[in-house]
Amino acid sequence: SDGAPGPGHWDADAAAGGLVDLAVPGGAFSGRRAPCLKNPVLGPGVLQAIRIFHTRQPSLAPIPCVPEYGGKVCLGLIPKEFFQFLYPKTGVRGPYVLGTGLILYSLSKEIYVITAETFSAISTIGLLIYVVKKYGASIGEFADKLSEQKIAQLEEVKQASIQQIQDAIDTEKSQQALVQKRHYLFDVQRNNIAMALELTYRERLHRVYREVKNRLDYHISVQNMMRRKEQEHMINWVEKHVVQSISAQQEKETIAKCIAGLKLLAKKAPSQPVL
Amino acid sequence: MNENLFASFAAPSMMGLPIVVLIVMFPSILFPTPSRLINNRLISIQQWLIQLTSKQMLAIHNQKGRTWALMLMSLILFIGSTNLLGLLPHSFTPTTQLSMNLGMAIPLWAGTVITGFRYKTKASLAHFLPQGTPLPLIPMLVIIETISLFIQPMALAVRLTANITAGHLLIHLIGGATLALINISATTAFITFIILILLTILEFAVALIQAYVFTLLVSLYLHDNT
Repeated sequence: SDGAPGPGHWDADAAAGGLVDLAVPGGAFSGRRAPCLKNPVLGPGVLQAIRIFHTRQPSLAPIPCVPEYGGKVCLGLIPKEFFQFLYPKTGVRGPYVLGTGLILYSLSKEIYVITAETFSAISTIGLLIYVVKKYGASIGEFADKLSEQKIAQLEEVKQASIQQIQDAIDTEKSQQALVQKRHYLFDVQRNNIAMALELTYRERLHRVYREVKNRLDYHISVQNMMRRKEQEHMINWVEKHVVQSISAQQEKETIAKCIAGLKLLAKKAPSQPVL
Repeated sequence: MNENLFASFAAPSMMGLPIVVLIVMFPSILFPTPSRLINNRLISIQQWLIQLTSKQMLAIHNQKGRTWALMLMSLILFIGSTNLLGLLPHSFTPTTQLSMNLGMAIPLWAGTVITGFRYKTKASLAHFLPQGTPLPLIPMLVIIETISLFIQPMALAVRLTANITAGHLLIHLIGGATLALINISATTAFITFIILILLTILEFAVALIQAYVFTLLVSLYLHDNT
């Protein structure tokens, strides 16, 4: 968080800055930066007191990785390399014989004296071995779990950040895709407007047609009515005059003629079969 | 027994050189500096323990009291580690020396008292008289409270010294009893050895408890005065 690079990377600027400090006469903290250190008696104490604890990695050089497992030991004390060292000359049982011999020698020559302390040593060391054998693995697992929790926390933050950025990318992509498909919307809108225009035009056209037809129908019906009136009037006039022109005598003659005709027909009729 | 009972409490010297300084500085090696984000098991457990203890110990303090966090945590780590290391055979425990415990207790106690008098003079002086005392008892009570105040560093030092020394002495004595009884009656020696084992367990507990008590009391004195 303070911009320092992770382990394994040189921080050239800081290293150069530190070296520049050393180049100034008077050492890393010269008088121009820390006047309290000029006092020769209290200077070193102040230097230690103002040293900052644990703000960044203590060394700027690349530090090697932590080995995953410790070195192998036998009896919890003696590294296996010692056994390997003695193996070519004394075989597998060599170091054990050496150890037993040394212990017996020191006991017999009273180099190691059996005192009260021996028994307290037996009880203390025995207790420690018992505790380590019984709870050692679980304590190790607990320590591993602590580290794992720390890593998991940081990993979670990292994953959350990645997820956030991924979501932003997806949103941006979908927005861009939407922009590509905008023309559909515009086409639909254009089509709608065209249809509405067409509809209005046809409607108006139809109305005009209807209005014109109405006017023309009116004139036609007026004409028809006039002609019919004229006809009726003429017929009435002709009938009236015809009826007027028929005198009484003509009427009698016509009737006599009709009767004579009928009599003639009546004579002819009975000779024909009735159908 | 060719050495007296108190030989293990003598200040250790090798060829005339006092190496007690080296012995006092030795436990600091056992607390490595965490140099990475994820450390090895030892450092992880130590970090967890320190976090647990400091959270619990500094909960009661205000902002001013929490500036003592480093001091208190160093104190409990030092006393705890020296006490536990002293239980190993043939080792020297610095905290059995009254001189060292006085050297730890007096400056810390004086620090808390002087802090109290500097920043809250009236409240510090008011500690000398508990609330609600009847009027005739006041002079005597002030004297008693003063004595009780000045006995605090002595009590701190002597408590630690006496506990650790007594524990070591008992282990010595019972070990010696076991040694002496082996030739007389093996069964009794065995019973005594069992007692020794139980005592060792007790001593482990006492080592840690004493460290805690020392630090807790300093913390309480601090709380009174900040």
